Amino acid sequence: MTRILRSLRDGIGFDVLLVIIALSYLLVFAGLPLIYNVIISFQTVDVFSLGTLWHPNAGFDNYRAIFDDPLAGRVLWQTIVFTLGSVALQFTFGFALALFFHQNFTGATWIRGLFLAAWVMPGLVVGVLWNWLLSGDFGVINHLLESLGLIEDPVFWRSNVETSLYAVLIANIWYGTPFNMILLAVGLAAIPGDLYEAAELDGANAFQRFWTITLPMMRATIGAVLALGIIFTLQQFDLFAAITQGGPAGSSTVAQYWSWQLSFREFDFGRGAVISVLMIIVVLFVSLIYVRSTKAETQL
Amino acid sequence: MKRLVYASVLALMTGAGGAVAQDVTLTLWTESATAPESVFAQEFSAIDNGITIEIREIRFDDLVTDTLRAVATGTNPDLIAIDNPDHAAFASRGAFLDITDQVAASDVIDIDAVFEGPRASLTWDGRIYGIPRASNTIALYYNRDLFAAAGLDPDSPPRTWDDLLEAARALTDPENDVYGIAFSARASEEGTFQFLPWAQMAGGSFDNINAEGVADALALWKAFLDEGLASPDTLTRGQWDSTGTFNGGNAAMVISGPWELGRMASDAAFDWGVTLLPVREEGGVRASALGDFNLAIFANTDHPEEAFAFLEYYMSQVDRVWPEFTRLPSVAGVALAPTGDARIDAAAQVFTEQLSYARNRGPHPDWPRISQEIQTAFQSVLTGQAEAQEALDEAAARIDGIMN
Repeated sequence: MTRILRSLRDGIGFDVLLVIIALSYLLVFAGLPLIYNVIISFQTVDVFSLGTLWHPNAGFDNYRAIFDDPLAGRVLWQTIVFTLGSVALQFTFGFALALFFHQNFTGATWIRGLFLAAWVMPGLVVGVLWNWLLSGDFGVINHLLESLGLIEDPVFWRSNVETSLYAVLIANIWYGTPFNMILLAVGLAAIPGDLYEAAELDGANAFQRFWTITLPMMRATIGAVLALGIIFTLQQFDLFAAITQGGPAGSSTVAQYWSWQLSFREFDFGRGAVISVLMIIVVLFVSLIYVRSTKAETQL
Repeated sequence: MKRLVYASVLALMTGAGGAVAQDVTLTLWTESATAPESVFAQEFSAIDNGITIEIREIRFDDLVTDTLRAVATGTNPDLIAIDNPDHAAFASRGAFLDITDQVAASDVIDIDAVFEGPRASLTWDGRIYGIPRASNTIALYYNRDLFAAAGLDPDSPPRTWDDLLEAARALTDPENDVYGIAFSARASEEGTFQFLPWAQMAGGSFDNINAEGVADALALWKAFLDEGLASPDTLTRGQWDSTGTFNGGNAAMVISGPWELGRMASDAAFDWGVTLLPVREEGGVRASALGDFNLAIFANTDHPEEAFAFLEYYMSQVDRVWPEFTRLPSVAGVALAPTGDARIDAAAQVFTEQLSYARNRGPHPDWPRISQEIQTAFQSVLTGQAEAQEALDEAAARIDGIMN
């Protein structure tokens, strides 16, 4: 008994205990819901049987229904456009801002902090804000574009099937850029300054320094930022709910919103679960990239 | 000062002490804390009967979702005010309390006096599962000043679809940011509520959505949008916001219900009137949507008698729903008391007549899915992604699949 206690206090037992705590947390709060979700995707579940533990088996019916749905192809395409568009532009703007503030001019840290204000706002608030900005008849963005002479007639961002997805995309880029900036700024700060000094002495110009020092040294951070960006974008729900509700005519429905619609508007939890299972598979791949880049980071 | 504090503490203590014995607290979920059931619930709580009702306000769009989730997890309230097409989903699955016997024994609630439409919405399999809160329907509001300015006669508003289209064209004035007409074609229950009357006037119905004339109804809606007579945001805006643009003078006509009357009377800085929904052609079939909520008790409540006592109290106050809330009573023989505003009193006549043409949505336990198919059909046509008949045929086939 005392041996076990002592081992717990300062032997290998302590390590095992820590691992057990972490693992059981993961199992209870992440593993079980994940597995349950996979199970539900093979069952017929409506809201009145949701509370019961076991539901009638549906085989692959839910999967077939999803793939046969006329909306499926469009949702897939829209999800790809939304995710890649968001991540690419959030990253580009985030990186540009991070480099800008890395110049360390007076007040740089303060202003950089202010940029985070956008990111700490709740998604629904951001959504309502952009809902007003993008409004067709009285929107600020239309007013700006019209006064600049860029457009003649107002663009109905939210109500036009051609633009509704981009309306949410624009809002999401604005929303996610500060987060990218902060993570990339941390990566930039970690690069030793003497590397740049040495390169400058050797006659490397700004572009060469960026290409041969900044980018390679940031590889791990960039991998992590991109992976997190994809995961966060695939989680983005509030903006869709606040700005377009996936419409009009499904033109801004992405996978995560469709899953919610199926589960909580049509109360077909089986089909809703199918989409989340498919999304989990994608996220697992992206997580692998994330884990690999953080591993590279710790090895540095 | 000190004495005052003592006195109030004492009052609080005795108040609480006296009530502990048989106090019953019920919870009521509703879309609005200013709706009749909320106001009546506060009055009911204030009566010294040992029953207190706590009100929780839930956004209209989330009401069904949140309630279904609550039912699934057993955390539902005792009472709810629910949109009438959603009633059957809960009643048919035993989530609502069957109050048939209590109603039969009640001196206050006379279910036979309830109009047929609302009564059908709260009946399932011949049993009664609630009482109607009120009834409403939609009609055409129009800006009399803009009618006169456009050379139209404010005393003879549009009577047919052609009249309506002509009027919308004449009234649209992009220079001054005025659209001819506002309505809601949103992909939500509101859109279905607004579209079904037009489909019905053309000979269709929710279980016959591809009837021959329904494509014409869609063509009318599409003309409003394609010709710029209605804001493109019609596709994403609800009725409340659409009517807001009318009140602000940015739309010359709006299709909406009597719940708007109070706000319009105070917000609109112009003379307005209400008329029946225009029909397809002179002498054509009239139709409109039967709206508003029902009150129901959940089957798993611990206090069914106290909850029923509230329903009785509600029914005893039903003559107030018109003058105080501009909602139409769902019970025969209730006179609409004058409100003191001539325009609202004139509207009372119109809405009462319009209500006599109103038809139910459902009742069907899978109404949300049926409604969704209808929304998909009109949205895909209005955005030019599908041909009207094609989209309606597909919706009809899918609705058939849901209903059978």
